[in-house]
Amino acid sequence: MASTFFLIALGFVIGLGGWALFLWAVRSGQFDDAEAPKYRMLDDDDEVQNKPKKKGMAEK
Amino acid sequence: MNLRSNQTIRCDHCMQEVPASAAVTAVIDGETRNFCCHGCLGAYELIHGESLDAFYQQRCDWQPGRPAFAAVDAREFADDVVSDGSQSRIELLLSGIRCASCVWLVEKVLGRLDGIVSARVNFATHRATVEWRSDAVTLDKILKTLSGIGYLPRPVRQGSQVEAFSAEKRDLLLRFGTAGFFSMQLMLIIAALYAGFFQGIETTYRLAFQLISWALATPVVFYSGWPFISNALRSMRNRALTMDVLVALGSLAAYFYSVAMIFTGGEVFFDTSAMIVTFILLGRFLEAGSRLKAGSALAALADLQPREALLVDAEGQTSLTPLERIGEGAVVEVLPGDRMPLDGVVTGGEADVDESMLTGESAPVTKIDGSKVYAGTCAITGRLRVKVSGDARQTLLASIIRTVEEAQARKAPIQGVADRVAGWFVPAIILLAAATFAWWRLSGAPPVTALMNAVSVLVIACPCALGLATPLAILVGTTAVSRKGILVKGGDIFESISKTTTVVLDKTGTITRGAPTLTDTFDYGASGNFMQRCASLESLSRHPAGRAIAEGWHGETVPVEEFRSIPGMGVSGVIAGEAWISGSRALLEKEEIEIDAECLATAAKLEASGKTTVFVACDRKLAGLFGLIDELRDDAGRMIGALRAQGLRLMILTGDNVGVARYIAGKCGITEVRSGLDPIGKADAIRELKRNGETVLMAGDGINDAPALTEADTGVTFGTATGIAIESAGVTIMNDDLELLGTLLAHSRKCFAVIRQNLAWAFGYNLIAVPLAVGGVLHPIVSALLMATSSLVVVSNSLRLRKI
Repeated sequence: MASTFFLIALGFVIGLGGWALFLWAVRSGQFDDAEAPKYRMLDDDDEVQNKPKKKGMAEK
Repeated sequence: MNLRSNQTIRCDHCMQEVPASAAVTAVIDGETRNFCCHGCLGAYELIHGESLDAFYQQRCDWQPGRPAFAAVDAREFADDVVSDGSQSRIELLLSGIRCASCVWLVEKVLGRLDGIVSARVNFATHRATVEWRSDAVTLDKILKTLSGIGYLPRPVRQGSQVEAFSAEKRDLLLRFGTAGFFSMQLMLIIAALYAGFFQGIETTYRLAFQLISWALATPVVFYSGWPFISNALRSMRNRALTMDVLVALGSLAAYFYSVAMIFTGGEVFFDTSAMIVTFILLGRFLEAGSRLKAGSALAALADLQPREALLVDAEGQTSLTPLERIGEGAVVEVLPGDRMPLDGVVTGGEADVDESMLTGESAPVTKIDGSKVYAGTCAITGRLRVKVSGDARQTLLASIIRTVEEAQARKAPIQGVADRVAGWFVPAIILLAAATFAWWRLSGAPPVTALMNAVSVLVIACPCALGLATPLAILVGTTAVSRKGILVKGGDIFESISKTTTVVLDKTGTITRGAPTLTDTFDYGASGNFMQRCASLESLSRHPAGRAIAEGWHGETVPVEEFRSIPGMGVSGVIAGEAWISGSRALLEKEEIEIDAECLATAAKLEASGKTTVFVACDRKLAGLFGLIDELRDDAGRMIGALRAQGLRLMILTGDNVGVARYIAGKCGITEVRSGLDPIGKADAIRELKRNGETVLMAGDGINDAPALTEADTGVTFGTATGIAIESAGVTIMNDDLELLGTLLAHSRKCFAVIRQNLAWAFGYNLIAVPLAVGGVLHPIVSALLMATSSLVVVSNSLRLRKI
């Protein structure tokens, strides 16, 4: 009996955590731009310094 | 190309002047070339290596240096800055964001500036949010940096439609997310209660679970369901019962009934009350999302319009002038990389113009003297002088925007049916529920049973199919075709497309290329300069045949006075004191000009081989005859095949002569052809078809068949027709692809088939289920399950339309 209610309460609390996360996400604009992130992941970070030159590249 | 003067050299690639000592020289194909930097040398080698040296000849009047941009005034942005003393934040609109690389570039360049805390660009809305330390960098510097790399910042105009839509979408997302979360928790508990109902359950457990489910259902009904409740209250005050009333009533009835049951020890139906709200919210959320998309597309279109232009004054000096001060007849200059500020005609210069935003055609179009250019299109190379043909409200872009705006406010008639039905369906159900309660009470059932049956009636009457499925289906359907570049003005138009029985095609420019070429010229010697006179007269005509004749003359043209264009017939004017008329045989007959037998025989021969004839008269005497051919488009055959496969009656209307019409008809296999029609005649032909009970769809290019497009049940124009054509046609197909016409017809029919299925399902379901509920056969639990299933059926049926 008690364990049942404990588990229900536990499930509910975990769920509440998810709900709070969702509320925060909507309020802070996480859902506002669904386009850019998929491109942003393809961006390089700042260009790597002093890349070794490929062989056969013409020196100018 | 290297001009040595005062020890400076012009770079052979970018034409900038560089000190001779600093120049980079390279010997390419035995010639010494000078460059200002290795970058230009690399570019030159690349172009040269691909044998594209013609580029250097084509950039006729290209000026070195950066494209000129309007100066940005930081004061315009002052109101938008949010500052807390040490840090400031601004949201601004960037024009020129085209792809993800633009986003990357702006973010990176701003990020490198000293004092910038963060810079984010929203790819969907083209907005940049920049935060900076007020002591380290000024707003002015940020704006200059942005315009320096080619993205012109503009203040965000508040209170736009898009703002309202995205606020609405966010609100619905919050409500739907909350409803989803609580409904999930609720369904777990309710599942236990269901199991208890069928297999037995201890009363303490049952009471506990009922209390928990009460707590869980409350936020769903009163927070997530608040829009329905408030709309229901409003519509009751206005004495108009909408779907919202039924939703709110069903949900609230189930809720309060369940609350009463907790205290009397019956079964609870909190799941019903919560699920009604959750499902319908999902529909509303999807709808808001696509409305926002449509709104953003509109805003993106509106952003294409520059708000100032380089006005050329009488001395040939240019000055940056706001568009409001530029009217018809003014001349503006457009620099490479700029967008056309207004519609107009090119009067000087030559440039490749990207018209993809209007036509979907990605290849640039070369514009020369006399070409029409449209506001919002982008000059890629070369500078143009454009004579403006109207103010900002009269541009093609403006009429497209108006059309799209109107489209969002129009309803399909079938939706009117659903709304009308809802009008009596809702009160009928409420009365029925009351009658059910009364009848059960009178026949001696306990109040609990009577109330339960009444609630069953309220719950099982599924309004979703009526209230949601029809708009959703139309929305999904029109969105699907708009992805293909088909602009449908509204749901009502979509419905009349689906009923089409006859498709009428305008010949010139729709199933033929619309650009005839001059093949035969007969000069009967009425005037010495026959060809020059004809070309001068026809060069003012907007008809493709006129253009073809004008192109057949490479000499000087002479001025034409009293020029008149007789739509669908020809042109007339006075040249050097002679009255010239050029046009169809009908025009000459109308003017009572005699055409001799020899000429008629020649014309008949030309026409028999599918050529269009243009007769010319000078001072009321026959002066000559032209033969032109306009070939069938490659995709016309495929389109006609597709339409015929759909069982549609096809007809061709043309202003041309019988021979041409027969020739073209024979080539594409359409038997019904009406020829020799002027614009009014075309409209008459369509009216006659409608009198015989046909539903007519007319496809034309809109230049001379606006009356017919308006007369038809649905008018379709192709490509960038004129603004008038877009306003008179219900559908504009932006990509110049004939086969899309078949796609549109097939898809609209599929859409309305789906709507009819939905309505049939909704009515059938209610007809069977409601009497069962009245009879007390169905437990409210079963009613709720049936209701949810019914909603899912119609919604998923509507979503089938996403795929074309």
